[in-house]
Amino acid sequence: MEARLFHIFRNTPLGRETFLQSIYFCRKTGTSPVVYIPQHTKFLMYFENDVVQVDLDSSYLNAPETAKKHAADLLKQGGFDPVFLEPKNFTASTLPDIPTHFDFMCCPRSISDLSGKIGLGYIGPRVRRIVSSAHFPVLMTSPVYKPWKSITVFFGGSENAVKALRLGFRIHRSSGMPLYLFTQAEGKPGEKYEEIIRREKLEVDKNRYAADWHFFETGSLEDNLYEVPHDSLVILGSFGHGLIRDIMFGSTMEKIQSVISNNMLIAGPKYAAGI
Amino acid sequence: MPGKTAGKTRAFSFLSSSFANRMRADDRLLLILMGIIVGICSGLAALALSKSLVALLEFTHHYRHIWWGFVLPGIGAALSSLFLNKVINEGAGHGVPEVIYSVSRYGGLLRFRSSYSRLISSCLTIGSGGSAGPEAPVVMSGAAIGSNIAKYFSFNDRQRITLVGCGAAGAISSIFNAPIAGMVFTIEVILGEWTALNIVPIAVASVAGAQVFRLLEGNHIVFRHAHFNIGLPDVLAAFGLAIVAALVSILLTRTMRTMPKIAAKVPLPVWLRAFTGGCMVGLIGFHLPVVMGEGYHSIQEMISGVFSQGLAIASFATLAKILATAFTLGWGGSGGIFAPSLVIGSLTGLTYHRLLIFVWPSAPWISEGCFALLGMAGLIGGMLQAPLTGIFLIVEITGGYDVILPLIIVSAMSATLCHYIEPASFYLKELVDKGQLLRPGTDARVLSDLNIHELLEKDCICVRPDTLLRDFIRVVSQSHRNFFPVEDPENGNFLGMIHLDDIRPYLFNTAMYDTVFLEQIMDARSETVHADADLGEVLRKMDEKRLFSMPVISNKKFAGMISKSTLLDHYRKELRVQTSR
Repeated sequence: MEARLFHIFRNTPLGRETFLQSIYFCRKTGTSPVVYIPQHTKFLMYFENDVVQVDLDSSYLNAPETAKKHAADLLKQGGFDPVFLEPKNFTASTLPDIPTHFDFMCCPRSISDLSGKIGLGYIGPRVRRIVSSAHFPVLMTSPVYKPWKSITVFFGGSENAVKALRLGFRIHRSSGMPLYLFTQAEGKPGEKYEEIIRREKLEVDKNRYAADWHFFETGSLEDNLYEVPHDSLVILGSFGHGLIRDIMFGSTMEKIQSVISNNMLIAGPKYAAGI
Repeated sequence: MPGKTAGKTRAFSFLSSSFANRMRADDRLLLILMGIIVGICSGLAALALSKSLVALLEFTHHYRHIWWGFVLPGIGAALSSLFLNKVINEGAGHGVPEVIYSVSRYGGLLRFRSSYSRLISSCLTIGSGGSAGPEAPVVMSGAAIGSNIAKYFSFNDRQRITLVGCGAAGAISSIFNAPIAGMVFTIEVILGEWTALNIVPIAVASVAGAQVFRLLEGNHIVFRHAHFNIGLPDVLAAFGLAIVAALVSILLTRTMRTMPKIAAKVPLPVWLRAFTGGCMVGLIGFHLPVVMGEGYHSIQEMISGVFSQGLAIASFATLAKILATAFTLGWGGSGGIFAPSLVIGSLTGLTYHRLLIFVWPSAPWISEGCFALLGMAGLIGGMLQAPLTGIFLIVEITGGYDVILPLIIVSAMSATLCHYIEPASFYLKELVDKGQLLRPGTDARVLSDLNIHELLEKDCICVRPDTLLRDFIRVVSQSHRNFFPVEDPENGNFLGMIHLDDIRPYLFNTAMYDTVFLEQIMDARSETVHADADLGEVLRKMDEKRLFSMPVISNKKFAGMISKSTLLDHYRKELRVQTSR
């Protein structure tokens, strides 16, 4: 069965940018977009071991009379038949339950229309919860529509980084875009990372699919991020380390998203990666 | 010495790993331990609400008699609505249906915010004089505590549901000092099933909740009364009371369902609607104070036989309490219907007793307090359609088995009569109407736990419409299936199906092999189902059309086949899992 991407449509110029990004992703990866036009400012997503309440700001309910037409027009322009999600179940009358059996979900960095929260350096708490609970990767779009021409996988050797690598191979195969690996060595030699790839039986795929492996032994992560092509889809794993370490030193995902404006595909800890 | 220490460490780690393995293999002990923790937490939450309510009611009591005192319940309800909708951003509801919904559909997953939101909002509503009960909020809170503890320890669905039950049981047993009622309420209303695995942790949680009450409040009975000597006329009169209690239960249920629809038509913001409803309660309460608050004090008066008003006032108060509860909860206040049901039940019992004395003044009737007790059981049995909860609750909160015979009659009969008129209880009605009440082991629950994706048979060979029959026969020889989906070679869209029966007429005529194309014989109008379709609907469609399998389509493309035999196979496995707990 073909993969499906879940998108919450916002009928605003900013929402259009995000939606165009979703459509571009779907076109490149052969994924079908499933669009939800919210009727209420909140909904629940029941994951395997967590329930996440997503509180939307009022901009998601903007101009409901034109929302469906706008979304359908954009989908048709992108070559897709419009498929809209109508919630079947409600926890309370104004609290619909949104299914979670999608293959991807698109989220802006923050589900908020406040300009201070749209920019880099901030990931909303709901988006974090979705990333940490979802079994699907989350597409965090750039603030404006930005077609990507290559794929960059951040590989730091953690369990989630391996998942991100597998996801990168999958996106590469479906999109045909060149794939680059990016590793910021944290005092470990390159052989360590290669050993991990060997152990995970990904060596053949890496040699076959990866066009280049940027391995940085010096400089800070923030400085080296300049080497990431500006028009590359960045794929990375999140919450790969313990909570304490993330609190003390900050998570790699946070650092990356606060520096680059690329589209990012985040594989959370529950993502079940398959080649 | 180091060798000795290492040996001790090894022995300790062996014991601990052996203990951990045993806990993993059989989680009963683990659930009992967690049940104690959940029971204590939910018991504390229940007591916190109870204490806060008493403090707030005492504070507002002095202002009730002032002319503007009627706005107090309005202010409380408005604050409660603002708190729930603007501060906590929680889709409001009475709480108990949400817990039942979560248990039946999502393995008991509840939001963390639910563990405290209803406590605060109901405190504002009831503490200011609104007619509602604190029981549903504490059940919600206890259940959410249990669910979030289970989530923290990554428990599975079955374990999480048990802890949700532990939370509900701990809360009810703590607020009423009634451990058996807490346990029975959880099993009868929340979970809807008795199993060996969940009954023990829930019982232990119930005990923990009650113990919290006894430690902090002392071991006293909630509603004290004198000893009742039940005679045969009283037992016979209980049959009549059961009918009256059932009718009042139906009236309360229907008023509660109608009021939100009326409120929704009023073009006001939600908090202003709650304010209006609260003010209406304040106005009623200005003349009939018995309708205000959770009403425990009034219940005590009625049981003790010091409620002095006559037949007309008692019956009028019954109707007024029904109206006040509907205004409070239907217009946006927060709370439950448990305590109002107890008050309305005792008023009903009292009215019935007054009526008996009016009709047969010389008959040796027992005191009105006994009928107030029986009325409470009748209303709980009728509203919740949970007769055992009604019986055990009344026995425990009044501390005696002397009324047990009429109690059973009233509770059981009221529940049965209500079931005839309203097949689903107040808590379950909405869920049943939406088809969302999925009790374990039922057809709907088994089907809801399966989805089309896991039943898909993907080993079908797709063919093109321009394939010649000769080529197709070669394909058939390589396949073990009878169905062949036909796909558009350009875009991969599903065009139709070919069944082996479709080619039978041409099979023995070799001259046709190079003249017939598949698009000429395919069934372009074959019944299909969407990949997101509900399995219940799929099964219904199969039964209606007498089909054994159907193609599943996703975004116009063939995704696989779904067959009755695979469905039945998975159904049986799932049923075995659900019923062998």
